[in-house]
Amino acid sequence: MYYLGIDIGSLSCDAVIIDKHENILAASVVPTGAKNKESIARVTDDVLRSAGISKSDIHGIISTGYGRDRVEDRLGAVTEITCHARGIKALIPNTKLLIDIGGQDSKSILLGQDGKVIDFAMNDKCAAGTGRFLEAMARALQVDIDDMANLDTGANGTLTISSMCTVFAESEVVSLIANATPVNEIVRGLNRSIASRTVSLMKRIAPDPLGMVVAMSGGVARNSGVVRAIGDLLGSKVFVPDSPDTVGALGAALIAKEKSNGRR
Amino acid sequence: MMLQYFKGLESGLQNAIQKGQASPRKLYSLEIARLGTRLYSGQDKVAWCGITAPFDVLNAMGMTSCFVEFIGAMLASTGVVGSFIDETDQIGYSSDSCSYHRAVTGATMKGLMPVPELLIGTTSPCSGGLAVLENIASHFNKQLFVLHIPQDESISNIQFLANQIREMVNFIRHITGISLDMDRLRLAVEHTNKTRELMVAVYDFAKQVPSPTTNKELSNFGIVMALFLGTEAAVHIAKSYYDEFEKRVKSNSGKSNEKIRLMWIQNRIQFKHPLESLLADEYKACIVVDELNDITWEPIDPNTIFEDIARRSISIPFNGTIQNRVKHLQKLAQEYKIDGAINPCNWGCRQGTGARGLIEDGLKEIGVPVLNLEVDCIDSRKFTEGQLKTRIEAFIEMIDARK
Repeated sequence: MYYLGIDIGSLSCDAVIIDKHENILAASVVPTGAKNKESIARVTDDVLRSAGISKSDIHGIISTGYGRDRVEDRLGAVTEITCHARGIKALIPNTKLLIDIGGQDSKSILLGQDGKVIDFAMNDKCAAGTGRFLEAMARALQVDIDDMANLDTGANGTLTISSMCTVFAESEVVSLIANATPVNEIVRGLNRSIASRTVSLMKRIAPDPLGMVVAMSGGVARNSGVVRAIGDLLGSKVFVPDSPDTVGALGAALIAKEKSNGRR
Repeated sequence: MMLQYFKGLESGLQNAIQKGQASPRKLYSLEIARLGTRLYSGQDKVAWCGITAPFDVLNAMGMTSCFVEFIGAMLASTGVVGSFIDETDQIGYSSDSCSYHRAVTGATMKGLMPVPELLIGTTSPCSGGLAVLENIASHFNKQLFVLHIPQDESISNIQFLANQIREMVNFIRHITGISLDMDRLRLAVEHTNKTRELMVAVYDFAKQVPSPTTNKELSNFGIVMALFLGTEAAVHIAKSYYDEFEKRVKSNSGKSNEKIRLMWIQNRIQFKHPLESLLADEYKACIVVDELNDITWEPIDPNTIFEDIARRSISIPFNGTIQNRVKHLQKLAQEYKIDGAINPCNWGCRQGTGARGLIEDGLKEIGVPVLNLEVDCIDSRKFTEGQLKTRIEAFIEMIDARK
């Protein structure tokens, strides 16, 4: 018996297939693009092919992410907050506080012993500090977003990006470039800006996070510069699973298994 | 435009009621339509007011009275509010300020607000509303009387406000030539007390588990019913709710199939949106109480009418310290046995945003989780359905997992 979780985010569409023992058989990440139905089909084909099974072998599908209602033949749709919590508990079992920064929103999630959500907070009315924010900054810096993780190497870290708004921050970055500010300092400033917003979000639900096991999921967790900046600000290590992008899809697959077995 | 709208609404509701489709909510909506028709008829003496104005006294004096935020809400519900809000940008309003007030100001500038005979401002619950009344008074060159509402219920504060209400009566007589007939006032007080008694009973029914109410039936109820205090119509509406809820409780029918009980803090979102239906249909989550659906005052004694009305104005939960408000929310949460609270935090509003952290802490103290949303309750153009849906669904999943 196999279970499929699909996470349709604003930037990427992720899928995970697990077996009845909760082993991950396949995982895939594709860009969501403008037509998410096509992305859903593509990512599903990917994981089915990798796992060497057909769709009829799938016992249950749970969808998550902003496009969760677009998945056909699903057992149900569950929010990314619940799915990321469930997924991280399987990967880093003693996680107490989870940060999930996706394409258009960021979340901090407080987990109970059983992996259930005790509390959560999400970014307010704008997308500052999310994947979109980083994309815009990479564009302004004319660098590849995947290269941004290590571009802050050697920075002394005194520069602050003061604008919270993505549009204003982009203008600020353009001005810094025009003033010949080194790129590593700008990137460090951006990472610190995201870290500052993220830690504020965490403290809304966990005013004193010191001593808690903190993990991070979502696409932005692949950016080690941001993860380091959050850790520095918190004063503790931030754990990141091997595939942070697919934590939500994994959580969805695990919930699919539970729902199929009538446990939820 | 608005007169046509209210007349159309009134006749539509009357037809439905005559065809036997009367429901408490229809009777309530009919009275709103009638008020709207009177406001825009050009025949009545109109008083634009603050929320805590003594409407039963004004009704007894024959004034057609209404708080200005009502118009903001009506413009939002009809889907035409955008152009009125935009109008205020031109006179320097910040786009982050309260859209209730921007909508009303825009409507005034575009000639959509009926010309008042006079205005009765109140310093509670917010200074923004008073500023709008000052703007309207200036625009129409009409006189504004301001009731300074004290923040707590001491004897001297009650006397202070009672005296101001007496002065307000003199102010109205001075402008309109209408004196307050004490027999009419006593009759209004009878209606007010009867309405109060019925509303207390209606709220007691709503506290039952499961509750006889549904997500929309008592939406905006408490705050709007204040407009009808002192009238037979208010008694009629409250009695209709009482009868219907009593019937549902006794017959065990018509009760909402509730799985999760919610409290809605402050005001509802005033334009059409799918969130309340989502809660009911997908999650069997019922909003059993709104923050302002409560009676926080004692019956009015016919011998101390002005003092008791003053006490009532001071008692509303939006008045005074946030700590008072938190205590009131805790009381409601416990009485209604709620599982979670939703705070829409209307943009630009002190009650919504300034108190957010304290309210959340206060309710968490008694084990009630709170979902803070970032919503403009009036301007539908700022409504981000997907974002809000995710937050609400995650909140319900969290509550569900706790049960």
